[in-house]
Amino acid sequence: MLCESCHEKEATVHLTHVVDGKIHKHHLCEECAAQKGLDVHAQPLDLGGMMENLKAQLAQLKDTLDRPDAAGPAACPACGTTRMEILKRGRLGCDRCYEVFAAEMLPVVVSLQHGDQHLGKVPRRASAGLKNSVELARLRRELDQAVAAENYERAAKLRDQIKALPPGEAQP
Amino acid sequence: MNERMPVPGPEAVYEDAFGITLSSRIRLARNLRGVPFPDKASPAVRQDVVARVRAAAQEPLPDQRLLAACTPLERQQLFEDHLISHALLEGRPDSAVCLSLDCQRSAMVNEEDHLRIQALRPGLALRVAWADADALDDALERRLDYAFSAALGFLTSCPSNVGTGMRASVLMHLPALVLMGEMDPIVNGLGKIGLAVRGRWGEGTAALGHMFQISNQLTLGVPESRTIEDLEAIVKEVAGHEQNARERLRRERRTFAEDLAARAAGILGAARLMTAQEALERLSELRLGIALGLVRGIGMPQVDRLLREVQPAHLQAAVGRNLTAAERDMERAKRLRGELRRPPKPLAKRIP
Repeated sequence: MLCESCHEKEATVHLTHVVDGKIHKHHLCEECAAQKGLDVHAQPLDLGGMMENLKAQLAQLKDTLDRPDAAGPAACPACGTTRMEILKRGRLGCDRCYEVFAAEMLPVVVSLQHGDQHLGKVPRRASAGLKNSVELARLRRELDQAVAAENYERAAKLRDQIKALPPGEAQP
Repeated sequence: MNERMPVPGPEAVYEDAFGITLSSRIRLARNLRGVPFPDKASPAVRQDVVARVRAAAQEPLPDQRLLAACTPLERQQLFEDHLISHALLEGRPDSAVCLSLDCQRSAMVNEEDHLRIQALRPGLALRVAWADADALDDALERRLDYAFSAALGFLTSCPSNVGTGMRASVLMHLPALVLMGEMDPIVNGLGKIGLAVRGRWGEGTAALGHMFQISNQLTLGVPESRTIEDLEAIVKEVAGHEQNARERLRRERRTFAEDLAARAAGILGAARLMTAQEALERLSELRLGIALGLVRGIGMPQVDRLLREVQPAHLQAAVGRNLTAAERDMERAKRLRGELRRPPKPLAKRIP
């Protein structure tokens, strides 16, 4: 396979980028890769450093959770699950836990996931307000993407759709 | 019980003529609003959840069983058919499974979440499986109130499932990639784009018989349709690599491939004792030989049926009694010998 940049030399550097969940593949020769600022002979990942980082983050989280004066209650009033239990088991006790421990859980959820906003199915029983909130989030996301892609015609349409959504308070 | 899952017709699974993607599965995690998740709920609450789900599922999933009332053999058989998880096999308290009559749709009750809805289809059929699971979810939701938040979507016991609560997965047979030493980079690559690769029976099981299960990891911030489209595209790409590796195997290492398939056929047709693991490995090699056109007189559907029948619980169900491990190895070898002893019966006679 030839380098996709110079179309002359054999491509020896194969890159796979994941941007916003989409996969992009690039095949370059060493020189072109170097020109693009890629360190072909890069050192392997600094696993030791990463572990240290992770340990520090965990210690910090543990500190936050251990502090008796930490914001919010120490246990979920609905199911009795404590912060420590959640930290130890990585599982929540009930749907209310997500609200009660929102401050600690949200960063964990975001680190595990693709974002902090649900963009999928909404139960049929959900209130109109709830449905609106998810729809609004979805349209805003699309609007951002349209603007980033400089597709202003689409962006204008999305903006109108967002305006057309019935007003109402966002639901948790 | 043995007849529960229909053996898919050749047209369904072997459409791609290579039989690389064996089955597609969609799983949805759901919980009831205001009820502690199974691990935190009291036995009385869990039993109430079972009763509520059973009532809601009466019409779409009429075959309902409490796991505690099942024999260990029945449980094992459900597990081997991918209808219950390892946790339910081990016996989670107050758990149940509700099945449609063809077993293509099902729901586990009181697994890690109150409900684990599942749709299973032969071949690469993620969209069809999603349509099944989505419709079943709607039907259940008519009578059940789900825990849901506008920001985090469906709320689940483990934060790794919040959002859609959906796990889409496909089971693939990738022997050529393994034999050509190309599977490790693929597994690594898939991991980097947010996909998990596991063995046939899920988390922690080795990829026995060159069977791999590929599934999405992310559930929040991506709509179901997108997850499914992305996974489908990747599966097609991996299948293309496998096809390519098979082609190279046939061209560049033909004698090796012929030897592998011939040995597998010989052992399967002659052995007196056969462990489940060895059976899976040899059947996988035979399956590859068939795909490469190196084995005549045996069809892929027959091998796939055997792959299912040689599993411990299916074997014992067919005999109608519990067998010790040693008895199973003997029985397994006997069954395989009965079907694969040379010369194989002509193709036309075996498959109506």
